[in-house]
Amino acid sequence: MIRKALGKLNIAIALTLAVVMTGGLGGATYVLASSTSNFTQTINAGTLAVDIVDASYVTVGSPTMAMTAATFSFTCQTITGSFGTASQQIYVKNPDAADAGWVVSLAASAPTAVWNSVGTDFDFNEAGSAGCVDDGATTDADAFGGQMTVNPSAGTLAVGQCTSCVVTNVSKGSSAAFVETTTNSITVLTGAALSDDIGDWKLTGVSISQKIPKEQPAASDYNINMVLTITAS
Amino acid sequence: MEYLRVKKLKARLVGISVMSVLTFALLGVSAPLARAIEYGGFGGRPAFPRADNPRTESIFVHTLNPGDVQEEGVLTVNNSAERKTMLVYSVDSTPSTGGAFACEQLSETKDDVGAWITLEKSEVTLEPGTNELVPFTIAVPTNASVGEHNGCIIIQEKKEQKGEQAGMSLSFRTGLRVAITIPGELERKLEIVGFTVTKRDDGSFLLQPKVKNLGNVSIDADAQVITRYFFGLTHFTHGGQYPILRGDTSDWNFELKKPFWGGWYRSNFIVEYDKNPEAGVGVKSGKELTRLEGPSVWFWSFPTPAALAIEIVILLALAFGGFLFWLSQKRKRWIKENWVSYEVKSGEDIKSLAERFDVSWKLLARVNKLKPPYALKTGEKIKVPPAK
Repeated sequence: MIRKALGKLNIAIALTLAVVMTGGLGGATYVLASSTSNFTQTINAGTLAVDIVDASYVTVGSPTMAMTAATFSFTCQTITGSFGTASQQIYVKNPDAADAGWVVSLAASAPTAVWNSVGTDFDFNEAGSAGCVDDGATTDADAFGGQMTVNPSAGTLAVGQCTSCVVTNVSKGSSAAFVETTTNSITVLTGAALSDDIGDWKLTGVSISQKIPKEQPAASDYNINMVLTITAS
Repeated sequence: MEYLRVKKLKARLVGISVMSVLTFALLGVSAPLARAIEYGGFGGRPAFPRADNPRTESIFVHTLNPGDVQEEGVLTVNNSAERKTMLVYSVDSTPSTGGAFACEQLSETKDDVGAWITLEKSEVTLEPGTNELVPFTIAVPTNASVGEHNGCIIIQEKKEQKGEQAGMSLSFRTGLRVAITIPGELERKLEIVGFTVTKRDDGSFLLQPKVKNLGNVSIDADAQVITRYFFGLTHFTHGGQYPILRGDTSDWNFELKKPFWGGWYRSNFIVEYDKNPEAGVGVKSGKELTRLEGPSVWFWSFPTPAALAIEIVILLALAFGGFLFWLSQKRKRWIKENWVSYEVKSGEDIKSLAERFDVSWKLLARVNKLKPPYALKTGEKIKVPPAK
């Protein structure tokens, strides 16, 4: 009789201990008594976003894109680079903000933009002579040669922090070159309607190549402003 | 007595400990595995989604007549960890490569939906974790043409100019599509214009279907590429629902990993869409879908090393089995052609005959279709090997 009672007591004490331990370790808070009953909780709406993050998913303040070095040349030359690295990943987040799909695209801040320098500029969207020479077309406002090609399909796509997400229904864009007025925007990633409604993805190794016209003066200050846009479609 | 009390107390403590650990483990396992997902970044979403169109939760969708004015609003959101000042502006849409939807740049001239939109604010400053409604109006010009017109509301972080910096500098922005349909004779028609399969250096394949929108509205098409084994069994299905903008050709890059088994594969491209005029952006007619089928593309994939090893083993086993079968057939044929008839004499049984003709009694029984106990009658004729 006493043994049975002790056994039951064991269970009761163990259960109490376990609940307290679980609550304590799980970070739960037990309100035993309270004179107020106003509990408020705000969850801010999530938003579709694209960014460059490091391996810990922290935004990279000043992302860079390394390209092969070029030296002065009497012929048109191509330099290459990789957009998105392990420490600077292209990162897409869809926190249930675009269930019907989304598109990440890369464009210059203006179709008339150029690789700007104190000296002679060169173009990023000239179609003439395989991008090497300005063809004088009226559609291209400037008089510079040079063309940038982006190849997202060469990149590596993976899920981000969301371990249950999949890359299914997220596809990389085709290789394409910027051409003023006809190709101002290049698709980097497309999320179909059946892609994860709540998910995040990272893309690395997007191949970039840039044609540099012949006899382009050597300078270290060439710069261009590019815009990465994510659009709910 | 004291010893017994201590022993009981110890047993009780052990019992409590074991029960605690077990219950703790059980509660721990059954507790919901909730993990905080950090939704950082900034952007926006439609402020007034409509219950009759779930698509309005992520984009702005309206059917407006020329001359109409529509009140709308965008909820700008800052979920980052720092205070942000964001530019909010409208632009026209532009097709991106592959026919995908994209938004023009702030610097570009607006002459479509981008120009129809007037925002109450062009800039908002938000503390971390806050949002702000920015109302805007869409005023459709009286000469707007029938069909779908698209534009975007853009939310872009305002950055201080740090002076000219060498290299490529990047800005990030979030765009929300604004789809305005002007009623009239709306045409919804798609056409498959191509489908290619390209082998890549790593052995994988790029499946690239192309579809053209011949109508004057965008169409949400269900594009699927089904890859089958040589014998017709489905190997993999790629695809999804994608908007195909009016007048544009959309193409997609579906990656097919190098098939494990290798061999001949066949990929088919299929598109399904709602051709009925009642359908719209985010609206289904509920009627039968139109199905377009593209050409089949056959391609060869070399097996992976593991598959090749397995296939070689299976082939060798099959070849060996085939050889054994051929051997047994050859023996059967030889027996049929060469064994002779023999009349069983008194005192002979299967064992003695087997010994006499130097053959196993089992073979003798099998050839003569004898059943246990394999008894032979005197004068019975059986087949035996020819005398040597």
